[in-house]
Amino acid sequence: MTLAADPARDTVHPSGAILPARGLGDRVSAVFWRHPNVLLATLLALPLLWLVVVYLGSLAALLLQSFYSIDEFSGQIRREFTLSTYAELLRPANMDIIVRTVAMSAAVTLGAVIIAFPIAYFAARYARGHWKALFYLGVMLPLWSSYLVKVYAWKLILAREGIITWATDGIGASAVLNGILALPVIGGNSLSTSYIGTWLVFLYVWLPYMILPMQAALERVPQSMLEASSDLGASRWQTMRTVVFPLALPGIIAGSIFTFSLTMGDYIIPQIVGSSRRFIGQAVYQLQGTAGNIPLAAAFAVIPIVIMLIYLTIARRKGAFDAL
Amino acid sequence: MTTAVEFLNVSRHFGSIRAVDGVNLNIAEGTFFAMLGPSGSGKTTCLRLISGFEQPTGGQIRIFGQDCSGVPPNRRNVNTVFQDYALFPHMNVRDNVAYGLMVKGVDKRTRLSRADELLALVKLDHHGSRKPGELSGGQRQRVALARALINEPRVLLLDEPLGALDLKLREAMQDELKALQKRLGITFVFVTHDQGEALSMADQVAVFSEGQIAQIGTPAEIYEKPRTRFVADFVGSSNVLSAEMAAGFGAPARPASLRPEAVRIVDEDARVRGQVQALRYLGSGTRVVVAVPGGELSVFVTKGLPVPAQGAEVGLGWDAQAMHPMEQG
Repeated sequence: MTLAADPARDTVHPSGAILPARGLGDRVSAVFWRHPNVLLATLLALPLLWLVVVYLGSLAALLLQSFYSIDEFSGQIRREFTLSTYAELLRPANMDIIVRTVAMSAAVTLGAVIIAFPIAYFAARYARGHWKALFYLGVMLPLWSSYLVKVYAWKLILAREGIITWATDGIGASAVLNGILALPVIGGNSLSTSYIGTWLVFLYVWLPYMILPMQAALERVPQSMLEASSDLGASRWQTMRTVVFPLALPGIIAGSIFTFSLTMGDYIIPQIVGSSRRFIGQAVYQLQGTAGNIPLAAAFAVIPIVIMLIYLTIARRKGAFDAL
Repeated sequence: MTTAVEFLNVSRHFGSIRAVDGVNLNIAEGTFFAMLGPSGSGKTTCLRLISGFEQPTGGQIRIFGQDCSGVPPNRRNVNTVFQDYALFPHMNVRDNVAYGLMVKGVDKRTRLSRADELLALVKLDHHGSRKPGELSGGQRQRVALARALINEPRVLLLDEPLGALDLKLREAMQDELKALQKRLGITFVFVTHDQGEALSMADQVAVFSEGQIAQIGTPAEIYEKPRTRFVADFVGSSNVLSAEMAAGFGAPARPASLRPEAVRIVDEDARVRGQVQALRYLGSGTRVVVAVPGGELSVFVTKGLPVPAQGAEVGLGWDAQAMHPMEQG
């Protein structure tokens, strides 16, 4: 045959049924094709090493530390199993820290849900093309700048000499601001030294982490489902409550895990903005640093983990993940 | 006879796109009405205009004589079976079906027992506690049907409801839908791009083309007396003869449609002779394409009759009334 006689043509259009391997790449990919498990193992080796050894390993070490205690006189860690460190958490001063942190995390999460929902809903249902790009840009943009810069900027905004005081004075609403600041517990000398200020800054910093999962969940709700609901006679509010909300719930829970746990672990925002009362993060920071009480710091650090586990268990029981 | 749905010069324009353009339509109560057309012909938009998901940019829609302008979907006594069924994935089948009663505030026991009745109607008695995700396509379709019927709508709208089903199931569902409609006596408005489905199920068919209705009539009228070339082409496959060809066969000098099954292969008294160009085996018979002076003619040769060989010279004959004159264009 004339075709086979031309060697140049033969390499481009080989006449056999099986094509020759083009090099190492083809040979490796053939091995992967014959043994899919090898491919899986190759892909997962590094992440698993990270997850199990570095991540879960250190978590286990942390858990272990919390069952040790500290010798009051020598300041040395006693490596014997004891629950006395956890008992120490129950002291009123420590309980205050825990309750304060949990309440703040819950308030931040709630605020984030309320503010994020309309934004996420708009992005998922109405934004197309340029508007969608603008939405992502708008949500992500705050994440591009340093966290510390943002927190200090907020301190200036909320300060007694800051723009909010100036603006409320300007529109003659300083009575409202003073009224808010006069509220017990959450009020204070100025916004930057009150719980309201801390809450606002937390809300600002963690809001993107609520919007994005919520938007992703809402995006997965097809338009026809909303139409079916209204077709069957549901008002907009009923559709929202019985169709949109349950279907968005996994996203809301995912977002709340972020806002809740990020707030519980943070020690910088409450230190810069707010009353000087301590949160869990600050307690951990001080206990493991200046005080050198690693066991108590570890016990404090276990609290957010336990609370998240309880939260997720309840959410699961209530059917929050049924739509997944 | 009462008019269930009436379109008075209805238009729906999206910017410069005329999805629906000056449609006039009367759907009598209790009919099985099919809206047939290719995608983008405006049939689905018409359905959405009835359900209220779209608002007309011109004209008026009346449902049982009442003007529906500005009335939201949840206040229209019509219900829809959606193309993708749109079942609520977080609710079980019973709760899905009972949804229409739940939002009306009907108490739980009443609405669930009513849901069970409807599930029995669509032969899904024992599937109430399952989630939609656990059902097959055909079963989901039945749930969607039951859910749309629970509010006892005066008009049931079906948007390509059988599109996602395989052929066998689709044929079974066609019979069931037809029987259900007869039994309930509700007006069904059915959107489809499948001409076979429209012809076999509907009492009346509206053929849509480019936002307008090309023809309305009974399936037999649509099939046998297509008014335009588009209808002749889209509904079944027809021979469309040019005006000159039609005149040559002694018909009025207008384009004419001639159904392939009306043409016979004859030895004597042939109206025209030609050479066999192509043969296509269709199972129930063979389609023979014959080149004749001025064009081609398709002939449907029923199974059992002799099929000519490729390239053979054949004579073609047909009854004069089989040639149906159409409008120009």
